[in-house]
Amino acid sequence: MAKYSTSQFKNGLKLMLDGKPCSIIQNEIVKPGKGQAFNRVKFKDLITGKTLEKTFKSGESLEGADVMELEMQYLYSDGSSWYFMDPSSFDQHELDQAAMGTAINYLVEQDNCIVILWNNNPISVTPPNHVILEVADTDPGLKGDTAGTGGKPATMNTGVIVQVPLFISIGERVKVDTRTNEYSGRA
Amino acid sequence: MSEFKTQLLHYQNFLHQIRAFFYSRKVTEVKTAALLSNPISDVYIDSICAIVNKEIEKTKSLYLHTSPEIEMKKFLARGSGDIYQICSVYRDNEQGNQNFNEFTMLEYYRLDFDIHKLIDEITDLLVKLGWRHNIKRISYKEAFIKYTGIDILQTDFDALKSIAKSHGLSVEFDWIEDLQMLLFIHLIEPQLKDYPACFVYDYPKQQCALAQIDGQVAKRFELYLNGVEVANGYQELQSAEDYRHRFNNELAKRKQLSKSTSTIDEQFLQELKEDLPFCSGVAIGIERLFSLIGL
Repeated sequence: MAKYSTSQFKNGLKLMLDGKPCSIIQNEIVKPGKGQAFNRVKFKDLITGKTLEKTFKSGESLEGADVMELEMQYLYSDGSSWYFMDPSSFDQHELDQAAMGTAINYLVEQDNCIVILWNNNPISVTPPNHVILEVADTDPGLKGDTAGTGGKPATMNTGVIVQVPLFISIGERVKVDTRTNEYSGRA
Repeated sequence: MSEFKTQLLHYQNFLHQIRAFFYSRKVTEVKTAALLSNPISDVYIDSICAIVNKEIEKTKSLYLHTSPEIEMKKFLARGSGDIYQICSVYRDNEQGNQNFNEFTMLEYYRLDFDIHKLIDEITDLLVKLGWRHNIKRISYKEAFIKYTGIDILQTDFDALKSIAKSHGLSVEFDWIEDLQMLLFIHLIEPQLKDYPACFVYDYPKQQCALAQIDGQVAKRFELYLNGVEVANGYQELQSAEDYRHRFNNELAKRKQLSKSTSTIDEQFLQELKEDLPFCSGVAIGIERLFSLIGL
């Protein structure tokens, strides 16, 4: 892979940091009045999702990471692996639970999502911002409460628990924001 | 009134308040030359060169001042007493959201002031300009102890390299002061954002620039507003010998880094036949101060 100097740093650039593929989320140039220039950089570790901070002397360079983001369709899970298909090549990719992360909570078969490949191996998956899930279990709501002023926990068909309005009942399909795990309406 | 006009009036008022502050304290406004015969000797500050008088066949290179420091010190040596200047300064090879090739500097000198007396006065100035938040003071050493547990004044180059390594940072440095700065920027500066205003004082002696050295520390300070460096001040060196020594050190470093070098401003050293009076001086970035003072 090509090397990138600090002058080429920008948000979204994928680089290798301590052997791990990372993406730049913030790049700040700091030039002390009496010192050399530095780049204070925030990275997202593309495998763990954690944020890292590093400071470089301006002029240092890092190796680029061979990372691709592809839209794929979620096919099915056999309990230990999750299978996705690249619709342009029909290639199938297998992800383990660690790479799935919290996406496990939101993906139902046929959903499209973004899979990140590093050296052609899938390392993480991002579900769409909103998904439609079905309520598998929840307490019956109070009769007549249609204003949705209160809330109650509901278990979705994927197993995740989401706070829903009282009027939602088992079997209903609801829209969930995958970034916040919040109910955002009836589907 | 247009928003632009409102901004102009706001800025005019800001400058007026600064001038009124110095007038009331009998600090004289001066104007020094901006086109100089010698570029600055600082290792990490680059002068912008102007080639003049080519068409009249008297070609020579002049340099836009990067700060009015040396010219103002000539005034001090001639007996100017307390002085200040607000002027545009120019620096080459600057980049980033906070750094520009041209910016406005307030530079001022106070006779018989040590850095703490000068910090007191800058505090008064901030309040006069409308600053309503707490203003903290912390020594460079205390800041390192507080945020990292490192005794920065007692830690040698090799030990600092191991610390940098443990944070996954570069250790490719020629001088310990550059590594101290990296660790400060990586570990301390982000924490200073917790303070609306913070003076950091008593820098390690390796970062003395043109400040007096007292034991392990240089009598130097910086002001951070919301984590952004806004001012840099010294208890000033006084003798021509000391200046010559510091200038030569910086020029040697520039040479080592293959940067352009020049001769020392001998006229300045000539003017210091008698020592500079005991004084402290500070440079304040006006645009940064103006943009942060409203916070």
